[in-house]
Amino acid sequence: MVNLDKENKILETIKTTFNVEGRVIRKNRVEINAKKDIVSSILLFAKNQQGYIHLNHIACVDWLEKGKFELSYIIWSPTDKITIFVKTLIDREKAEMENIDNIWDQANTYEREFREMYGIQFPGLVGDFEFILEDWDEMPPMRRDFDTNAYAEKTFYQRPGREDAKDVREELTKQSGEVIPDFAKKYSRE
Amino acid sequence: MTSNNNDKQTIVEYIKNWSRKHSLFVMAYGTGCGAIEIPATMTSRYDAERFGIRGAATPRQADVLLITGYLATKTLKRVIRVYEQMQDPKYVIAFGSCTINGGMYYDSYNTINALDRYIPVDVYINGCMPRPEAVISGFVQLQKQIAEGNADNGTKYKENLEWYRTNQTKIIKNWRMPDYNW
Amino acid sequence: MEDLGIKIIGALLTVVLAFTVGMTYGGIVRKLTARVQNRRGPVVWQNFLDLLKLQSKKTNVAHGFMGHMAPVWIIIAAGTVLMFIPILNGDLWFPNLTFHGDLIFLLYMMVFGSLGMALGAGQTGNPNSAIGVTRGLSQMVGFEIPFVLALVALMIQYKTTSIQDIMAIQAETGVWMMFSNPFAFLAALFASLGMFRYSPFDIVGAPAELASGPMSEFGGKYLGTMMTGGSIFAFIKLTLYVDLFMGGAGFGTGFIATIIGLGILLLKTFSLYMVPVFYGWISPRYRTEQAIRYFWGWPTALGVIAVIWAIF
Repeated sequence: MVNLDKENKILETIKTTFNVEGRVIRKNRVEINAKKDIVSSILLFAKNQQGYIHLNHIACVDWLEKGKFELSYIIWSPTDKITIFVKTLIDREKAEMENIDNIWDQANTYEREFREMYGIQFPGLVGDFEFILEDWDEMPPMRRDFDTNAYAEKTFYQRPGREDAKDVREELTKQSGEVIPDFAKKYSRE
Repeated sequence: MTSNNNDKQTIVEYIKNWSRKHSLFVMAYGTGCGAIEIPATMTSRYDAERFGIRGAATPRQADVLLITGYLATKTLKRVIRVYEQMQDPKYVIAFGSCTINGGMYYDSYNTINALDRYIPVDVYINGCMPRPEAVISGFVQLQKQIAEGNADNGTKYKENLEWYRTNQTKIIKNWRMPDYNW
Repeated sequence: MEDLGIKIIGALLTVVLAFTVGMTYGGIVRKLTARVQNRRGPVVWQNFLDLLKLQSKKTNVAHGFMGHMAPVWIIIAAGTVLMFIPILNGDLWFPNLTFHGDLIFLLYMMVFGSLGMALGAGQTGNPNSAIGVTRGLSQMVGFEIPFVLALVALMIQYKTTSIQDIMAIQAETGVWMMFSNPFAFLAALFASLGMFRYSPFDIVGAPAELASGPMSEFGGKYLGTMMTGGSIFAFIKLTLYVDLFMGGAGFGTGFIATIIGLGILLLKTFSLYMVPVFYGWISPRYRTEQAIRYFWGWPTALGVIAVIWAIF
């Protein structure tokens, strides 16, 4: 039986202070789902009072079916060695999120990438707009409804000879005799 | 450059090509992920210096430009500028399958698929990435082409400059490059 | 008149000899370096192939008048200095224009070539060239001090400023200057490490440093000419060292004696050349301030001791 005392303790502290939902995934992994208004308060509380001083990563997931972006702030404590995922959902049409530049300086780079690649606005973010792409005037390319294949065929000259290419996954499943499930079929070439 | 026979070179041309093929200065510019095979080719095990190949630091001193792997549109603008600064006769060797038909990035929104439309290419080496033995065989193929006398793509670029520029400005929208008066 | 004809032919012979020997030494060193690093290297005549290829480039880009002048100045400096160095002792074919005080004259003329390169590099407007030139000239300030101290010690000890006299003294006493004033030889040897621009003092022209420093905008014919000038200068410095410290080379007059004399000269210069090359194989690169601190440490102390020895 694994000892999950420290994880439960930090989860209880955050739950009682902020009134949010959360769970312990496994040892050293805690997940918290919050609304977008109180995320920066949770991060500041964890950084200053609980010792979670290291920002690991900020990740963004595009839930096209739900119509929302999910931002995950991943922080870590060097004393407890626990990783906390602080997740929020923001609206996809008018995507706006608070700028946490003053808590951790490196969040500036992550937020500039999201502004260019996903189209999420961060009011008060200071930095050049053009970061990774140059002279880009289409929609933000990491969104799932941006058809990158069609754009590549339209813009770049394709050398002929790819028409009889076979799909790797189809060939392997035919050889081993398994069946591709339904939700994955729409990525097949046929 | 005139000769009695059209397919035999004069003695001067022969000596010039012989010296060009045995002393190639490679521009030290790794454009893509294939650049990791270049140090392996140049060091002790697969020694490339015995062919006379050595690294040169600037485009003014270099003969050969190695396009190692995929080319993003951002890199393509800089590569064109470097290529135009090199002095004639100049050669381009393209590594990897991304330069041939896009490779595994064929459907990406910012990598080009066929390098031949933007700068002229002499030798393609396929692989992902080609091993040092394949790289050396590519250089030997380039040496053969130089010895036959039909490796003059620098002049071809100058003559067909309009066509190359049309292709380049189609994908590089903000064309702020100097006009070279070579 | 016939004398003048022989002298002119001898002058051309000297230039051809210096060019060939300088470039071949470069090729031999590349081959030896490769063997030390456990690989085969280029062929021994690789420098000639590089020169041929550079001269047969079709377009050559230059940035104004000084860019054309820089290689020309290096060649002029190399040719002029070559005329004043005694190649073979007492020989009819190689003219050695000597006069009293030519040792001091040589010290000035050898800097002339680097000055030409500095001016040419300055006009291109490339910031890499400017920084490279600054580093090169600072390093030259470093190694000139032990070199001049060694030469001054020699001049004081034998009360002459002519190379021919120093060679005559060595022939008379039968003892090489290397042994009769060892501190001067050691100081000059340390200075030679900086002169030949091998590791650890190759920060000026290395390709990984600042896109090869002053030569970053020279290509084609200009680069070929500068490589030639560099090789001739290497031969000049080696011969000067051999004349001053190792008794020169000469075997008498006559055709066979000339050939044997040249052979002895090649042997001596090559063995002296191996000192910076060997040291270069095992050393990493120094920064400019580390190099200057190196030269103003023990080598300068040895030079001062040499001067004191020469006085007493």
